[in-house]
Amino acid sequence: MSFRVRTALAAVATAVVCGGCGLGPGPGTKSVSLTITKGFGSQHIGALTRSQVPGSETVMRMLERSYPVSTRYGGGFVASIDGLAAAGPERDWFYYVNGVQAAQGAATTGVHAGDHIWWDLHDWSATDAIPAVVGSFPEPFVNGIAGKRYPVTVECAANVGAACKRVTAQLNAAHVPAAPQLIGTGSGPDTLGIVVGTWPEIRGEVAAELIDHGPGASGVYATFGAGGGSLRLLNPRNQVVRTLGAGAGLIAATADNSSVPTWLVTGTDAAGVNAAAAALTATALHDHFALAVDGTTRLPVPLQGSQ
Amino acid sequence: MIYRRRASPLHSARAGAGCAYCLALAIATLTLSNPIALAAMALGVLGAGVAAGVGRQLGRAALLGLPVVAAIVLINVLVSHDGLTVIARLGDLPILGHTDITLEATVYGAILGLRAVALILCGILYTLAVDPDEVLRLFRRVSFRSALSATLATRMVPILIRDGRRLAEAQRCRPGPPPSRLTLMRVACTGVLDRALDVAAALEVRGYGVARRPPAYRPPYSRHDLEFLVAAVAIIAVAIAGRVTGWASFIAYPSVHAAGWSALGVAVGLVAVAWLPFADRRGLRR
Repeated sequence: MSFRVRTALAAVATAVVCGGCGLGPGPGTKSVSLTITKGFGSQHIGALTRSQVPGSETVMRMLERSYPVSTRYGGGFVASIDGLAAAGPERDWFYYVNGVQAAQGAATTGVHAGDHIWWDLHDWSATDAIPAVVGSFPEPFVNGIAGKRYPVTVECAANVGAACKRVTAQLNAAHVPAAPQLIGTGSGPDTLGIVVGTWPEIRGEVAAELIDHGPGASGVYATFGAGGGSLRLLNPRNQVVRTLGAGAGLIAATADNSSVPTWLVTGTDAAGVNAAAAALTATALHDHFALAVDGTTRLPVPLQGSQ
Repeated sequence: MIYRRRASPLHSARAGAGCAYCLALAIATLTLSNPIALAAMALGVLGAGVAAGVGRQLGRAALLGLPVVAAIVLINVLVSHDGLTVIARLGDLPILGHTDITLEATVYGAILGLRAVALILCGILYTLAVDPDEVLRLFRRVSFRSALSATLATRMVPILIRDGRRLAEAQRCRPGPPPSRLTLMRVACTGVLDRALDVAAALEVRGYGVARRPPAYRPPYSRHDLEFLVAAVAIIAVAIAGRVTGWASFIAYPSVHAAGWSALGVAVGLVAVAWLPFADRRGLRR
């Protein structure tokens, strides 16, 4: 065997060993949950949790292992789940892993330990890009994004100390180390940030500016009035359905193209922020894209119909 | 690989019946996805070829089809992300991205390959066992000039092959390096074009351009004609029944599900129906 052939074989062997190649599915992972909903989480279709997941599992494989699925475009996109297909030109299945919309098809998105996968059939006439949702809380803070955990910062405005403590306590209860700090003092593109404050105080933040530009930019179906004194809740068609005044709060998540999501716990005033912080629990946020709070009333956003 | 008259039931049947029989085999191959049924189709075509005296050519074609099967399997396993059972991980590949080889994609690739080989065999059986001139005669009442052109074109192909061989042999006798294939092809094509001009001139002189629609040619149906026509209908019927009833069902994704015993029944039925016309050896044309 010549030197060239041996070198080529050695290179191939090295590539095989180092490049994640091998026979069989490889080692599996644990505790992955799957939720199926429609209408932005308003209707529950199904849910399951797998304690053991085979190796090389992708979001698509896990879905197909659990439900009858039909696909299109070469198997990369879901057409129907459990017989439920999009009944309209601007309705499709979207998926979120740990509350973050994946950048690639389900057939190539790997599943990692502790992931919460959420499939939702919804109207995308207002926007087809909803970069982050809050319905998987305490994800993505616990298990991160694509198997990578990120440092978490809680950025607090000046006059919402109680709300800030509450948010931090909720994260700590989920075993997420986080300490409050002032707005603009530490979060970066590789940091999962929660910004807590009244809308006028936080509206200079990038995430808040995205929300100001509407669902098309942020994926959040709620916007604040000019002075931050009112909170307008939208339906999936980007129409204002309800306007909340003083004491209104909002929990939402969004991201620009280059960074991990930022969560906002905000409101029209301090009372609204406190109400929103009180709603930062897995139970209250469960399967919601965003959550508006009006006193003790919790309103999943976007609002459906004339809610 | 050209048509030669042989003493077989398929060669004795009229071209329309032969066409219908080969077309039915191809339609059944396209209709069915079950591996047992597809294997039966390939076997049926091979058996028909053996019974028609062209088994050796078909066997050679089947062997030549194996690389096609391998290529189809390879492409499918690399391109398809479907399937639940991962049998190998290739990691991140250039262009293809993250690639896992699944059992389902491999099986489906093999099914596609098997179908391709069966279709190739159907085409070769048609080429070897159905008289092309008779086939063209079927169409001459539809379009006389097109049928004439097609007849001449098909006649030219074997001439082109023979010319190429003769030229290659002649050039090998000359000193120096052997000529390239391109040179041979150019010379052979030039010869064929010259010949085509001669043929066109002869046709013009004989007044073929002003010929009128020929009278209908309706010879009586022979026993072999009827047998192959009935076999064609039966093959399509069995294939459609196997698909509609689910007796020959096959699902590759997300996991492989294939009908077993019922598919075997369909397969036996297909093979029997495909071979039955060859059992009658009476009245063969030689």
